[in-house]
Amino acid sequence: MARALCANCKTERAVIKRPKNHAKLCKGCFIQVFEDEVHHTITSSQLFHPGEKIAIGASGGKDSTVLASVLKTLNERHGYGLELVLLSIDEGIKGYRDDSLETVRRNAVQYDMPLKIVGYDELYGWTMDQVVETIGKKGNCTYCGVFRRQALDRGAKMLGIKHVVTGHNADDVAETVLMNLLRGDLARLSRSTSIVTGDSRSEVKRSKPLKYSYEKEIVLYAHHKKLDYFSTECIYSPEAFRGSARALVKQLERVRPTAILDIVRSGEDAARLVPGEEPSSCACLGQKAAAGVVVDDDVGGCGSQSGRTPGGEMAAMDKQLRDNEAHEGLEIDVTKTMAKGAVARGEKRDVPIRTGNASKGAPRQVLGNCKRCGYMSSQEICQACMLLEGLNKNRAKIQI
Amino acid sequence: MTESKSNQAALTRPCVKCRAQEATLDSRSQPVCRDCFVKFISTKFIKQIDILGKKTRPAAGPSSGSSSGGPPTLTRRYLLGLSFGVSSTVLLHVLSENLESQLAKGRTAPFDLIVVHVDASSSLSREGADNSEAAAAAAEAVLNRYRARYPRFTFHNVPLSSSSSSTQSGNDSSEDALSLLSSSTTAPPTAASQSDLRAHRIRRILLASAARHNCQALLLGHSTTALAELTLAEAAKGRGFALPWLVGDGPAPPAPPSSGPQQPQVLVHHPLREALRKELVTYASLITDPSPLTDLISEPMRPGGDGTGSAEGTTTVVSYRDLSIEDVMTRYFAEVEASYPSVVANVARTAGKLVRRGGSGRDEEAAAAAAACELCGMPRDEDGDKRWRGELGIQEEGEQGTEGFAGQLRGRLCYGCERSVGG
Repeated sequence: MARALCANCKTERAVIKRPKNHAKLCKGCFIQVFEDEVHHTITSSQLFHPGEKIAIGASGGKDSTVLASVLKTLNERHGYGLELVLLSIDEGIKGYRDDSLETVRRNAVQYDMPLKIVGYDELYGWTMDQVVETIGKKGNCTYCGVFRRQALDRGAKMLGIKHVVTGHNADDVAETVLMNLLRGDLARLSRSTSIVTGDSRSEVKRSKPLKYSYEKEIVLYAHHKKLDYFSTECIYSPEAFRGSARALVKQLERVRPTAILDIVRSGEDAARLVPGEEPSSCACLGQKAAAGVVVDDDVGGCGSQSGRTPGGEMAAMDKQLRDNEAHEGLEIDVTKTMAKGAVARGEKRDVPIRTGNASKGAPRQVLGNCKRCGYMSSQEICQACMLLEGLNKNRAKIQI
Repeated sequence: MTESKSNQAALTRPCVKCRAQEATLDSRSQPVCRDCFVKFISTKFIKQIDILGKKTRPAAGPSSGSSSGGPPTLTRRYLLGLSFGVSSTVLLHVLSENLESQLAKGRTAPFDLIVVHVDASSSLSREGADNSEAAAAAAEAVLNRYRARYPRFTFHNVPLSSSSSSTQSGNDSSEDALSLLSSSTTAPPTAASQSDLRAHRIRRILLASAARHNCQALLLGHSTTALAELTLAEAAKGRGFALPWLVGDGPAPPAPPSSGPQQPQVLVHHPLREALRKELVTYASLITDPSPLTDLISEPMRPGGDGTGSAEGTTTVVSYRDLSIEDVMTRYFAEVEASYPSVVANVARTAGKLVRRGGSGRDEEAAAAAAACELCGMPRDEDGDKRWRGELGIQEEGEQGTEGFAGQLRGRLCYGCERSVGG
């Protein structure tokens, strides 16, 4: 095995067995192939147009560092004509961002890109540490996720940029697909797989150029390119559905490495089967299909991948579902036919487990703007402002 | 009601349903007695079999919608896939109970039932023919025990290697696909692929048997848990497009034109879809008359394995190489089921809401049939295939060797089967 030659150039010794398909490649070919594949994704999905200003959501972690490096390389190699900017969010978690922000600062120098850091404190008046102090360790990932989502957009807006790219990789997408199947969230399933979210109506669009890249290959790429990144998990890690789905993806990958991409494929296909979705699979239509919906798919990007949902989530959902079943049983004597009809139509049986938007049957959400902050939202008041209101009430009490 | 209330005080832990007996079991975190538990399971079953009964109402001519199929017969005819596992054995038992109770009331039999066991012990790969003969004899012996217990039903043993087409007519390119696959050099290399292809093979054989026996519906023993496993396993194998066809109840996808002359459409139903696997295990252990039902079940009485014969129980993993995707899901859902049963139920329910594409409308039927995968028989997602190639670049697939078997079948298999055939 040590003597095997690279399957691509057939001259160099193979040093890498690709996690994706077990192809044996030399270092140079691996880097080339990895970049070519990202380039392919970018061109086939028509992610960018020449002269576009792009903010790279940079956390200092491996995914966003590799994304920045690859985009810089491809931008120069293929003449995309992009203006690339690093955009970082400082959640205000002591010991978590200090080091990673240092990394991002070094990246900015290494890649010769401007850097903008936006803090939660300046955006919301709260650092994550203060949030945790107020509401405890459970459930704070909801806040972090909601705040971050807006923070990237607001930061981009400040810079006059209309397109944010994030480092979400194939593992993340696969995880999201399984998670949404697990919690029976078809609306999110249909959205989470599209490579671009947001459209002309939203001020900032998002995309994930690494959507088809394996996490393991991203690590290998970072390693062989000797990239400077910071690896740490968020210290306030969530459990529940995402954690559960993540563990499952890892196991499946061990049984069959292609499973990750297969799940992504399944997610894309199943997304078109969600009632009310466009049956077309054309990439450009796919972009439209994802539009008109609040951009709230899982674009978190903290080490533990944005648990928008509190711990004990599975237990909570289980309880909710069981209560529903019980209530249904009670109803039957009185309004038998009606209850049956409702069940048959699958109405109101789903749990609004998230604090977020109506979750079921993939109803079209009507996009408006938050009355307080103006951020686009399907509700009168956006999630972030709702959460802030709760926080501020608490703060007032504590001060008294 | 009032009567049972007076009893209540005398019991230390009254059953929450009847309040008249001591609770000996936990059902969905409520204490219940044996009788109420058994009734609970059969109620869930009866609800589903009634739904099917309405769809297959005999003699009513072309009943209501396009979804009901089958030739007009005087009684309903169903085919049950029996794996000798817990779920399918319980389904057989409740079907029998249902039939007996109708007969006891002096009514006519509500349905004819044909039971088919697909003998997977002679697998797609390696093992020689002599081996499979012994296996067939063993399966026949088990089947005889079932025959003795349920004399009203007809039982058949079908080897896995049998043709899945309903007729033996010559021009059968799905035969080609399968024979190509079973020739030793092209046997799928991994446990995951073998298990996948075997499970889909069994399904197709059962469907073909149902058509051949003029059955209106194929009944499968999948529990809620098994359907949730199936949902995630098929998603993990790239068959997201086929999920509603696999997990929901309704007509089977139209058969590819290659599998012989036009067949009547067969419905696929899962009458135990509302019971958890652990509940079926409990149910099986409660049935002891005339002999323990568990005596029939060849699969160990663990809360895993729905009968594709591949699950290995919940022992520690020695090598992931030997596991199948189904094994991983079985392990996973055994855990989830223990703590969050309603989450499991919700998975199956949600997947059932996905829209069936590729064969829903009548006009599309012909097109869908043409685009069915030649191995698993599920509709192929041609749009998705095109896009996927575009997204990923074909060279990614090509690396694994387009020549040979996989190359010959390109464009005739669905994404999931292509994956399994390729390794």
